[in-house]
Amino acid sequence: MARVITITSGKGGVGKTTTTANLGTALAMQGAKVAVIDADIGLRNLDVVMGLENRIVYDLVDVVEGRARLRQALIKDKRLPELCLMPAAQTRDKDAVSPAQMRELTNQLRQEFDYVLIDSPAGIEGGFRNAIAGADEVVIVTTPEVSAVRDADRIVGLVEAAEKGPPFLIVNRIKPRLVNRGEMLSVDDVLELLAISLIGIVPDDETIVTSTNRGEAVVYDQSSLAGRAFLNIARRLAGESVPFMAITDQQSVFERLFGMFARRRS
Amino acid sequence: MSDLISIKGGREGLRLRLDDVVDWQVLTDALAQQLAQKSGFFVGARLMLEIGDRTLNDAQMADLLGLMQQHGVLVESLGATARESRDAARASGLAARPLPRYAEPTAPASASEHDGMLVTRTVRSGQVLRHHGNITLIGDVNPGAELIAGGSVVVWGRLRGLVHAGALGNADAVVCALELRPTQLRIAEQITRAPDGAGRLSPETARIEGGRIVVEPWEGSKRG
Repeated sequence: MARVITITSGKGGVGKTTTTANLGTALAMQGAKVAVIDADIGLRNLDVVMGLENRIVYDLVDVVEGRARLRQALIKDKRLPELCLMPAAQTRDKDAVSPAQMRELTNQLRQEFDYVLIDSPAGIEGGFRNAIAGADEVVIVTTPEVSAVRDADRIVGLVEAAEKGPPFLIVNRIKPRLVNRGEMLSVDDVLELLAISLIGIVPDDETIVTSTNRGEAVVYDQSSLAGRAFLNIARRLAGESVPFMAITDQQSVFERLFGMFARRRS
Repeated sequence: MSDLISIKGGREGLRLRLDDVVDWQVLTDALAQQLAQKSGFFVGARLMLEIGDRTLNDAQMADLLGLMQQHGVLVESLGATARESRDAARASGLAARPLPRYAEPTAPASASEHDGMLVTRTVRSGQVLRHHGNITLIGDVNPGAELIAGGSVVVWGRLRGLVHAGALGNADAVVCALELRPTQLRIAEQITRAPDGAGRLSPETARIEGGRIVVEPWEGSKRG
């Protein structure tokens, strides 16, 4: 039975698209058949992050309005044949699609895939409503910033009101050094407020920037901390029990010794 | 609230019941006064309006809705025994439903501030709990959430949103919480905000004393 999972956040720029691309890739690497849908109509990104922009012929709105069949709009990934992208339309806006049409679309995709991941636009308006309309489960991405967490809280309320069950939480871009110094919200601080179940912690990692710009998922690079974290999240989504990585400060022994001295002197 | 107007919270939301005997002008004047006086309670409220046996024409209906809108109240539906009133409501785009006759023809059913509402969940950013009586919440009130009560508010959890107790004017109302760190705390007409920095991590009570809001630790033994 296929699972339709929407990735959303409320606030923009916290990593929804990166998360969708990487979870889709990771699930497909594990052998699942995966479709990722870009529901951010008018501001599409997922195709760029996955490096598939130049292959788009038809998009989601073409399918919904009957100009293309589902198969025609689905773009196969460069590396993984089991991974497909349904791109958003760039020349239309959120009103081009209704929640009922999104439900219909996801129900068609259910027939052929194990996972359907939906990349939601930021905000709480029509685009967000479309993105969760067909979902069985919702994953909320937040960063450890007060504003992002506040928006995530609003989204949790809306997801609960839409009776999608309790959402899962990914805390993205944790900077261990700042947390240790008490200058950044910790995962515990975030969880204390949101009170939903945690499914992943992704450390802040520069390899995300380079891999995103290259149009390649970071999960291929298992030397990358973020890549490992996304792979772990995919395994947890699939039902495996994977312990959370210890997000520790990655400073050298020398720095650590120096830090001890500094502390003792103060 | 007054003899002519009563507000009551229920499972389906707030109901505002208007007397159906007194002269229409007297009633709307009283309503305008109540809405203005108790704006802390009414601004942003969504409610069901009940007019009983009264027959309203289209102009009166428009006046009534205009008055509510002017005071920031969104009327979701109208309950009336008279078909003409329901037709007038539908003509202005409202849902309308038939209503049984008021039990006491002169005074609307009285709603007391001692009535209570018990809620067990987290109230999240953007969500509002509004009740004419006391609110008891088992759970947290997150920043960006609002609790608005005619009576007192008791939170068995962390109170970090906005809270307004005694919002219908009762200055004896209190607010207590296991962790009282509201972004803003209002009792009746008084407004205060939590001091900057970390608050106490023990139960506290806020009340009005000498015209201003004071917050003190809850110490059960001393009150004995």
